[in-house]
Amino acid sequence: MVHFDLGNISSGPKDYYDILIVGGGPAGLTAAIYAGRAGLTAAVFEKAIEGGAVTQTHIVENWPGFIQIEGSELGEKFAEHARNFGAELVNAEVIKITYDDEYKYVHLDNGKVVKGKVLVYATGAVPRQLNVPGEKEFRGKGVTYCAACDGYLFSGKDVVVVGGGDSACDEAHFLAKMVKSITMVQNLPYLTAAKVLQDRLFSNDNVKVIYNSVVKEIRGKDKVEEVVIVNNETGEEKVIKAEGVFIYIGLVPKSDLLKDIVEVDKFGYIKTDENMETNVPGIYAIGDVRVKNLRQIVTAAADGAIAVEHAAKKYF
Amino acid sequence: MALLSAKDREYLVDLFSKELENKVKLIYFGDSKENCEYCDLEEQILDELQELSDKIIVERYNVNEHKDLAEKYEVEMTPALILTLEDGEDRGVRFYGLPSGHEFGTLVQDILTFGKGAKPELSANTIEKLKAIDKPVRISVFVTPTCPYCPRAVLTAHNFALVNPLIKAEMIEANEFFELSNEFGVSSVPHIVINRNPNTFFIGAYPEAQYLEEVLKAIK
Repeated sequence: MVHFDLGNISSGPKDYYDILIVGGGPAGLTAAIYAGRAGLTAAVFEKAIEGGAVTQTHIVENWPGFIQIEGSELGEKFAEHARNFGAELVNAEVIKITYDDEYKYVHLDNGKVVKGKVLVYATGAVPRQLNVPGEKEFRGKGVTYCAACDGYLFSGKDVVVVGGGDSACDEAHFLAKMVKSITMVQNLPYLTAAKVLQDRLFSNDNVKVIYNSVVKEIRGKDKVEEVVIVNNETGEEKVIKAEGVFIYIGLVPKSDLLKDIVEVDKFGYIKTDENMETNVPGIYAIGDVRVKNLRQIVTAAADGAIAVEHAAKKYF
Repeated sequence: MALLSAKDREYLVDLFSKELENKVKLIYFGDSKENCEYCDLEEQILDELQELSDKIIVERYNVNEHKDLAEKYEVEMTPALILTLEDGEDRGVRFYGLPSGHEFGTLVQDILTFGKGAKPELSANTIEKLKAIDKPVRISVFVTPTCPYCPRAVLTAHNFALVNPLIKAEMIEANEFFELSNEFGVSSVPHIVINRNPNTFFIGAYPEAQYLEEVLKAIK
């Protein structure tokens, strides 16, 4: 069905907000909602669409109140909710963060600088790369990390999905409806996705999984033609003919703008206390980008609430 | 059935009444159903947009019946939508294909920009470098309606076009114009082609400064 959404329409940022929120996923938008409730002004800076990685998720079924909801719809509802509480949603990329004794500053790619009293960093994580020959070379020529963006461009074609977790299985199920065939390549002897996602995936008869195998190389002339995989038990190599390679092998934190300012762990995840505050007073980190055990929409949202409640009491 | 929800309509009525300072013209070129699968829907969404504000003017033309105009605005595919100020002067901002999904937000954002005099929202440095461009540049941004990184890729191109009359910037819906997408090897969006040369392109979400660099590199 054709759908029209508001995206992140914005009348442009003002010079100052009480709370600057970098990243418009579930964590950042929840923070904006709580800011609105606390009577504070907030701006959310997002370079893609408000809703964050949720908007790229096919189906969400672990957000309370919705047995099943499309990720894009849930993301849109989050944005609408934040907008309703007066949050300014700004479609721009933050390229630098600075601070002095009094304020935090976000520097936008369009040259604007916006200041705020408190900064909440909610940039989440980005897809991990395979780091094999051909991956970089064929990016945009068959290699992709976004089934929601590019899935339809592979209609009727054979594709490979790399990974076996929740994202890999959910996206493979989404792709199964349009592509000719899917070969999943999983490094373990089993899939790690939730059972419900595995069952749904195997309801498609054009999906098969090759276990105990990793991608060695992606090959082709001008675009992807085949994927070389190797069995990690026998060492046996195999070539799979495919025009598309969708990579879902986990995430890496997107902490680049803060990693030289606040403490991070050895993987780059940002360290916070139980109030989500970093070692720099007034700078908070929430959602997938911080050190935590469970990275889910619901825990990201909780982080946003905790951070802003704390900031509202401590700094305003 | 309406394409926009009552809630979205209410939001947009309020937004347009607050933000639009001058009139904005949407010049639409369509074709018959056989030649243009999405023209009906585009006409409907334009009808709905027009109802939201008296500052939004929609002009509708059939490409075959108004060849001279289609030529004037260099329309090459349908549905085509050209945004201008009230004077109808081409500022190089175009949509080929239905601006649905996230791209509807792009269209609304463009309307806001034109409603404030069509001033580009770019850094001074970018504007200076764009002004210095002295040959025609055409930026084609291939998108899908479900791509979250695409709206900014389109908006950046559209803002570039507003700086310099030599720059034209178009959104192209990749699914709708499948053959053209294939011709340019589009398999991941946003896929940005410069001067319709299959060899000068870049893919993905670029911040303004890097986007500009890619464009400048392509025309060197």
